[in-house]
Amino acid sequence: MSNVGQMLFLLGLLVVGSPLLMTCVSGISSLVGYRLSEETTTRLGFWAVVCGLLASVAILLIMLVGGSRHVAIELGHWAEIPHLYHFSVKFVFDRLSVPFVILSFVLSGTIGAFASRYMHREPGFNRFFSLYSIFVLGMVVAALAGTIETLFAGWELVGLSSALLVSFYQERSAPPRNGLWIWTVYRVSDAALLLAAVVMHHLIGEGDLGLLLGSGVWPEEYPKLASDEALLVGLLLLVAAAGKSGLVPFSGWLPRAMEGPTPSSAVFYGALSVHLGAFLLLRVSPLLELSTSLSAAVVILGLVTAIFAHFVGSVQTDIKSALSFASLTQVGVIVAEIGLGFHYLPLIHLLGHACLRTLQFVRAPSLLQDYGTLENAIGKLPDVGERHVRPTGMGRFRIWLYRWSLERGLLDSLLREYVASPFVRVLRACDRMERRWTDLLSGRGPQERDRVQPHFGEIEELT
Amino acid sequence: MPRLHSTDSQTPDAAIPRGNLLRRLSESIEHAAHLLPAQGPITVFIHHNTLHAFEHRPFHEAVNQAAQIFGCHPYLPKAQYREALQSGRIRFDELKQVLKRDLGQRADEPIACFGSRFDLYLAMLQDPLRSGPAEELLWFVAETDALRRVRPEVSAAVRSRLIAETRRWTMRDLRGGGEAESRHPPEIRNSPGTLTSLRELLSRFGEATIESWSDETWECFTLQALWRVCCDGVRDLPSLSPPPATAVRHRDWLLQATGEDGDLLVNALLIRFTAAFLDQGVAQAAMPLRKEGFYRAFSSIYGQPLGSPERWLRGLPAELRRIEAERLSPLESVLDSLEQLGVHADEWDEFLSATLLALRGWGGMLRQIETHSDRVVVPVPSGSLVEFLAIRLLLDRLATAHVAHTAMRFEGCLGELRDTIRRRSGCPRPPSVEERAFLVFQLAQVLGLSPDALHRLQPGEWAEVMREIETFGSLERRRIFHLAYEQRLATAALDAISIYSPQHKSPAPLPAFQVVCCLDEREESFRRHLEEVSPQVETFGAAGFFGLAMYYRGANEAHFRPLCPITVRPRHRVVEDVTPGDEVDGELRAKTRRLLGMATHRLHRGSRSVGSGTLLAGGVGVLATFPLVARILFPRLAARIRKTLGRVVQPPRNTRLRLERRADDSAPENGHAGFTVEEMTDAAERLLHDIGLTADFARLLLLVGHGSNSLNNPYNSAYNCGACGGSAGGPNARAMAAVLNDPRVRAALNARGLELPQRTVAVGAYHNTCNETVTFFDLDEIPSSHRAEFEQAQRAIEAVCDRNAHERCRRFMSAPLTLTFAEAREHVEERAEDLAQTRPELGHATNALTIIGRRERTRGLFLDRRAFLASYDPTRDDAECTVLVRVLQAVFPVCAGINLEYYFSKVDNFGFGSGSKLPHNLAAMLGVMDGAASDLRTGLPWQMVEIHEPVRSLFIIETRPEDMLTIIDRCEGIGRMCRNGWVQLAVLHPETQRVSVFRGGVFEPYEVQAETLPRATSSVDWYRGCRDHLEFCQVANGAEPARRFEPSSPRSQTVGAADA
Repeated sequence: MSNVGQMLFLLGLLVVGSPLLMTCVSGISSLVGYRLSEETTTRLGFWAVVCGLLASVAILLIMLVGGSRHVAIELGHWAEIPHLYHFSVKFVFDRLSVPFVILSFVLSGTIGAFASRYMHREPGFNRFFSLYSIFVLGMVVAALAGTIETLFAGWELVGLSSALLVSFYQERSAPPRNGLWIWTVYRVSDAALLLAAVVMHHLIGEGDLGLLLGSGVWPEEYPKLASDEALLVGLLLLVAAAGKSGLVPFSGWLPRAMEGPTPSSAVFYGALSVHLGAFLLLRVSPLLELSTSLSAAVVILGLVTAIFAHFVGSVQTDIKSALSFASLTQVGVIVAEIGLGFHYLPLIHLLGHACLRTLQFVRAPSLLQDYGTLENAIGKLPDVGERHVRPTGMGRFRIWLYRWSLERGLLDSLLREYVASPFVRVLRACDRMERRWTDLLSGRGPQERDRVQPHFGEIEELT
Repeated sequence: MPRLHSTDSQTPDAAIPRGNLLRRLSESIEHAAHLLPAQGPITVFIHHNTLHAFEHRPFHEAVNQAAQIFGCHPYLPKAQYREALQSGRIRFDELKQVLKRDLGQRADEPIACFGSRFDLYLAMLQDPLRSGPAEELLWFVAETDALRRVRPEVSAAVRSRLIAETRRWTMRDLRGGGEAESRHPPEIRNSPGTLTSLRELLSRFGEATIESWSDETWECFTLQALWRVCCDGVRDLPSLSPPPATAVRHRDWLLQATGEDGDLLVNALLIRFTAAFLDQGVAQAAMPLRKEGFYRAFSSIYGQPLGSPERWLRGLPAELRRIEAERLSPLESVLDSLEQLGVHADEWDEFLSATLLALRGWGGMLRQIETHSDRVVVPVPSGSLVEFLAIRLLLDRLATAHVAHTAMRFEGCLGELRDTIRRRSGCPRPPSVEERAFLVFQLAQVLGLSPDALHRLQPGEWAEVMREIETFGSLERRRIFHLAYEQRLATAALDAISIYSPQHKSPAPLPAFQVVCCLDEREESFRRHLEEVSPQVETFGAAGFFGLAMYYRGANEAHFRPLCPITVRPRHRVVEDVTPGDEVDGELRAKTRRLLGMATHRLHRGSRSVGSGTLLAGGVGVLATFPLVARILFPRLAARIRKTLGRVVQPPRNTRLRLERRADDSAPENGHAGFTVEEMTDAAERLLHDIGLTADFARLLLLVGHGSNSLNNPYNSAYNCGACGGSAGGPNARAMAAVLNDPRVRAALNARGLELPQRTVAVGAYHNTCNETVTFFDLDEIPSSHRAEFEQAQRAIEAVCDRNAHERCRRFMSAPLTLTFAEAREHVEERAEDLAQTRPELGHATNALTIIGRRERTRGLFLDRRAFLASYDPTRDDAECTVLVRVLQAVFPVCAGINLEYYFSKVDNFGFGSGSKLPHNLAAMLGVMDGAASDLRTGLPWQMVEIHEPVRSLFIIETRPEDMLTIIDRCEGIGRMCRNGWVQLAVLHPETQRVSVFRGGVFEPYEVQAETLPRATSSVDWYRGCRDHLEFCQVANGAEPARRFEPSSPRSQTVGAADA
């Protein structure tokens, strides 16, 4: 291996290794019950992100200078059944992954610094930073993934840490409830991704994205799949992306994610996490060119999401929901751009949007002051207050549209009523059958444990 | 689905005419509405007593009642009080003293073998008394060391006595079966069950080898025997305390019976709708039909087809149509819902309160806005709360029917639901044997009562013991702890005042300059440092609006804002004008501001829409990284750059207040434009009389208003001046200075006998308590003769800002204790500009005292930023104490309001306060929610009250006890708060310097506890290196340490003489 190659390999390891190290240190110290001080945790996060960032910038420079547009770092096959299955770990640095990984480091690093002061003296400080480091690791792994298995690993880490961060305030009932909702949506999206992996293995024998997308360097790749094969894989990936990016019909999770502390909602749902689906589509964008119907599906889903989010966002009355739907509007547009066959346009759009939105989220609590300043500068703000609508004809439609937007497009209701409820009913029926069966076998009536009321609490002083 | 409409059943209310019924109903709603939080829009945060609605009742009764109604804690958790007992914050002898005082005559009554009632209660206080449900206790005694080891809290002596006594008793009485029985007194024989059970225990332990049992075996046996005796003793006792309050609303009953919460469904919808209805401009599209009111808008918006597919809402459009067809008014609709739910008139009060409190934050905000429509940009019509209630009950009915159907298969009419559940669940369960036995079991160990002693108790005695234990329940114990907690601080403060104040420090004959600050407790340290830095200064404390109640609009502001206490409605408007000559420049800058503002607004809105959002994000989005990184990593630098750039559009420096009324004053309903000379004179005279500054004027008089400014902080207004209605008080100070400088005002004052000499010059200033800067106004008005003095004063104040920042920094855990003055100043500057800072300043946290009297009484006393200090000179007041009454009427609501809001937000931060600030989300520009859909959170966030000690403010007033008693009798508001114990009260006699404490309606002389006051050479010397609350001390250079005051000593007599 040439010197440059070796150096790239080491730098690449550093990019992935530094967040991994941060995760291990904060995770293991929590596991063994050793509480790191706020200062240590902050410093650890800072250096891990700075190392990762510098290494990825160095790789970018080397690639620019050397003219290389594709650097792959293979960590070998971790499991192998000859001719049937490889499980290989591979990271790829190319024109797509390098900007995205740099973005991830910059935003999560800034938010890490923000959070270290914002979360000062919060009892869950260490928990927050453990989850934060898992999230950063997940983002980096997903961004650089060269095989679908690696991608899935990063994807899962992001999903897990996100759901746990949403339910960060466990002492109230709403955050865990909303965290569970998000986790469920993520599982659907994970299942789609997993199915896509299975189909890929079936089609090309392994999970290497490079093989799937054929020879060439992103975005000039030429996949060797037939159109209907591409449609199948593509649709599965589209479902995966829709879940992760909150596209229709999964959009309802986005405002629910605001239960966590402000920095986590800012970076995770407003800026990074929500773009991960778009990133996935961008990664497999050469696939889209193979199937017109697939491209059409992507464009339509993107546009529908953008329009939906625009209407819903315009009636939200709390700043975080308003911003999250504003985010979603742009994600929808980005997805549509991908579907239209653009490569660099959506990438630039994505990067710019992530930065802009993070700034807005971080400043969200300043809204009052900002409005005060604006009002002082220009008098009473336009379009605040009354909107006269007559409840006839067109007015009726506008009222209906308002209600529809206020209810967030009824998406959650539809999902709950027509997907979740039937699902739960089926499972409950199975449970009843099983109970009857066990009762029959044991020859007893309904079991004792079913009658004891659960008590949540511990032996403690009555307060 | 259950039937929504009851078949017109014969309710007892049917006999009453409908008109009367409706009147009665609206009274009930009015009553319920009083319980809602009274916090207005968060932009004008005004501190008030969280339990204002309960002020007519004594404090402890009120908080207990409120605890039940709101489901919140009235005191801190016991564990925290016990921690305080460990650390010395609560003194054990004071705990005993408080308990004894509370029990009075009943303290010494004996309680079976437990000693006196006092002993029993003290044992219950001293060590934690644990409890839990029966199943868990059974597990606990089976699986843990509870029956093997004596509780660790028990002292070694008590433990060995307990074991030794049990041992003797076992050897003597229990062993050997039959003959033991005859030795017991005859009346014990009626519990042979216990003896049999104990014998069985004995044989299980191996009776044969009893002589060779180890110590552990004996300990184990003792505890097992004790546990069995306790269980048997309480087994057949009836229920002694009243059953716990039952559920009120149908939702509560269903929740208890099925675990399904109907409010989850209703609240989600109602929060969205109410927020949209109240929105002040977050949403780009306002609610259509908002003008028609809550009720009509809801009907029109939710009555349309193609609504929610959710099962519980399917009946909604039909129900709305029915209501429309029957032309029910909101109030009639409430009545209709109540009838359908089967709620009779006698439970309306309770039921409606509970219903409104289910979403108390939003309901309260609706109430606040409908009653104070002038505080918001988009008002709502009055009567909105009733409309809200009507919709709430309608949705409640739908949700209840749905939950009852799905979770209980209940198909009857809703009116019968509660009875059905009551029948199914049976009567409430009394406390189980294990729960009661475990309490006695723990107490017996602490008190060293052997199984033998307990075994000899009669059933009647068991009942007595149990009754005592249950009477002195958890809340009662916390109350006693709390009293002791307050007592410590009160003792410390009264000792400090009693010892210190007789040593009258007469001020310099003619002070170099005088400073009037706000009475705010944050200015205590400011004044103290100022007096340390320049000893020839004299300081005063006045309510921070300086007696000028006005609507004010700055040169770069769009709206007038009221600058006065919330109880006052201003009658004057004051505008800041750009001085002639700068007008063109000012106009230009205003235009630029307007253009920039429009652009920012467009940008803000644009970033949220499809088209321009795409252009923005794609085009320049990446540039956002620069401000993002700069503002987060280098907040101070970023702020400086921002300010430099912003200076271009700031109004010119030279501005004037348009104070005086012009001839063309034609809109008196919004207040007069400016004051007449006479009105100005009135205000000036009143201020000077209030603070007792009627003679000995220095050449320079500084008036310092205060406020606070911090970024990313929705609670910014709560840090501002309370006396200025949650705004910054700079303009008031500036205006009052201008008034005092006016020669016509001086002439008029002179005519009224208040001589303000020509040589005195007043200067207004503004103290930013967050970044610790002081800005002076109208410097060009200072005559050259006073320049040098002013500059000297300015230098002193600059030094004071450094020191004050330094003292504040000791409380910030993220500020190192090693900071220098200059570094501390930088630190607080950074805090104000830091987006990530959740504690820009600590606000009123730790406030505990309110001292009203001459500054000489407290000058040189380190009060740790815990005391509101209002100046009042009893020697210059008349016999009716007119001035004192006036001062108290301004000070009481403000200081007690702040104190009590902090109290309640601290004792139950989740219930009364607003929880942690971190997940807060600004909603409708009116308040904050947790996450994206919660109730509006009222009260103070955890970050503001974190270091606060919840104690009721101790008012120390320099006046005669008899005068204070008259005031308590005469002024209803003040009297109510004092008599009902919402504040603690003491007076300092102006002549004898004696402190008396108000207790049970009379003033009792205070017994000084401490011998001396600690002494420090300077404030820094005293607080350096400490983070915690500090003792009060005397700060003086080389002065004699203050000693306990002896009235016979000649020194103090001269003091008294000098005063009189």
